[in-house]
Amino acid sequence: MSQATQIEQRTTENISSPEAHTAPPALEVSGISKSFTHRRRETNVLNNVSLKVEQQEFVSIVGPSGCGKSTLFHMIGGLVKPDAGTIRMNGKVVTGQRGEISYMPQQPALFPWRTIEDNVLLAGEIKGALQDGAREEARQWLAKVGLNGFEQAYPHMLSGGMQQRAAFLRALLAPQELMLLDEPFSALDALTRSEMQRWLLELWEENRRSVLFITHNIEEALLLSNRIYVFSGRPGSILHTVDVPFPRPRRDEITDSPEFLKLKRQLSQWMREEQAKSEK
Amino acid sequence: MRSTWKLIWPPLVAVVFFLTVWQLSISLFHIESWILPSPADIARESTSNASGLWAHTMATLRLTLIGFPIGTGVGLIVALLLHLLPWARRAFYPLIILSQNVPSIALGPLLIIWFGFGLLPKIVLITLVCFFPVAVAAMGGLSQSDQVMMNYMKMAGASKWQIFTKLELPSSIPALFSGVKISATYAVMGAVVAEWIGADKGIGYYMLLQKSAYRTDRMFVAIVIIVLLSLVLFAIIALLEKWLVRWKPRRNS
Repeated sequence: MSQATQIEQRTTENISSPEAHTAPPALEVSGISKSFTHRRRETNVLNNVSLKVEQQEFVSIVGPSGCGKSTLFHMIGGLVKPDAGTIRMNGKVVTGQRGEISYMPQQPALFPWRTIEDNVLLAGEIKGALQDGAREEARQWLAKVGLNGFEQAYPHMLSGGMQQRAAFLRALLAPQELMLLDEPFSALDALTRSEMQRWLLELWEENRRSVLFITHNIEEALLLSNRIYVFSGRPGSILHTVDVPFPRPRRDEITDSPEFLKLKRQLSQWMREEQAKSEK
Repeated sequence: MRSTWKLIWPPLVAVVFFLTVWQLSISLFHIESWILPSPADIARESTSNASGLWAHTMATLRLTLIGFPIGTGVGLIVALLLHLLPWARRAFYPLIILSQNVPSIALGPLLIIWFGFGLLPKIVLITLVCFFPVAVAAMGGLSQSDQVMMNYMKMAGASKWQIFTKLELPSSIPALFSGVKISATYAVMGAVVAEWIGADKGIGYYMLLQKSAYRTDRMFVAIVIIVLLSLVLFAIIALLEKWLVRWKPRRNS
């Protein structure tokens, strides 16, 4: 895509939404493509992906496995350079730059030799922005998420759900504004998972942050998000964009509403179709 | 307490069984004591000559305690340099492996020609045997950090130095310790070999003396002392590891 058309798109956006004047999107991915070469065979992983996370918006990506969602995250995090396209955060081009986002991986990946408290403070420590009150703040947060008494414990002493909460706190207390959550609940059992979803919903509605969330779970995406991007199978591209209409604060009951079920059915059907295509 | 006992008794029984078989077969097959002394003979000999043995043991222990930290330190420095400078790793790693194919006993005479009969050639010899297990273990540990944690550090914008100090170094410590434990036993062996080559005291020197006198029982006393020295050093390192790596989940829990 040429520079001119991108600029044109941005100007039309500016006219259409009055908010865009005051604050540029927290994340704007435009025209990203990426291929990997392995043993002389080129695999196209992502094809012309454009998406957006406005300030204080919760946005999800759903799609079949292997659709390049994790590669997209690695690109936003600056680990991998895209072949084409740009990544902007708060209006600034940050393509290939590291240290701009706060990240929560699939596995909690807490550092086993650090206490829970030190793990939670890690991102701030890396940025060199550990203020005097940071430790106190971390302790208050740990208490708030039900981890009081575990401040000085090592990660292996905690259950899976508790570890995941600590990993989430590590991302939340990072100095970066935008949070990338990569299937954070996929390793948990169903009961813990739904508990964690409700926990995250409540926490996010209290402390709005810009979030980009990867998940396989459609219900989870509908419950949490303002907007959902449905990805196609490989090469990944955006098939559908769904704006989730439910007002906030959301309660668990919305999962039983006819509108919710209708959206869920629609999304499931799209996912099934894509899964079937990629299996052929 | 009961679980410790459970851990200790199988090797204890095995050792007692081994010593009994040894003692019995000597009296059963009438083996001359200058060929193979019985455990009882060895025990008797070690108590009758305790003060002389003590001086020799202290000399060897002193040599070990000087050489082992230096060897471990050199191994650590080599590992850090080769880890932080990938081109140096490519250039020198094969050379380091090659150096281990030269038997330490063959280097001894050369070291004496170069450095005389003092402390220096012995320390050099111990360093040469000690640094290798530490260097290899540390390098392996440093390069095998968890990939997810590595990605996390990079995405969070960690510098190379931060990745090294906050991720690679701490995650290499368990691997490092397995190298240090091996090199602790090598250090005792290195000290004894160094004393064979040129010394006027120490367990190695004592062994040479007893060899020329055909005192097999005293040779065995020397072996027992060497084994005990190695074990004590090993146990101290293992305790240090337990304390330093207390964040690691216990395997049997």
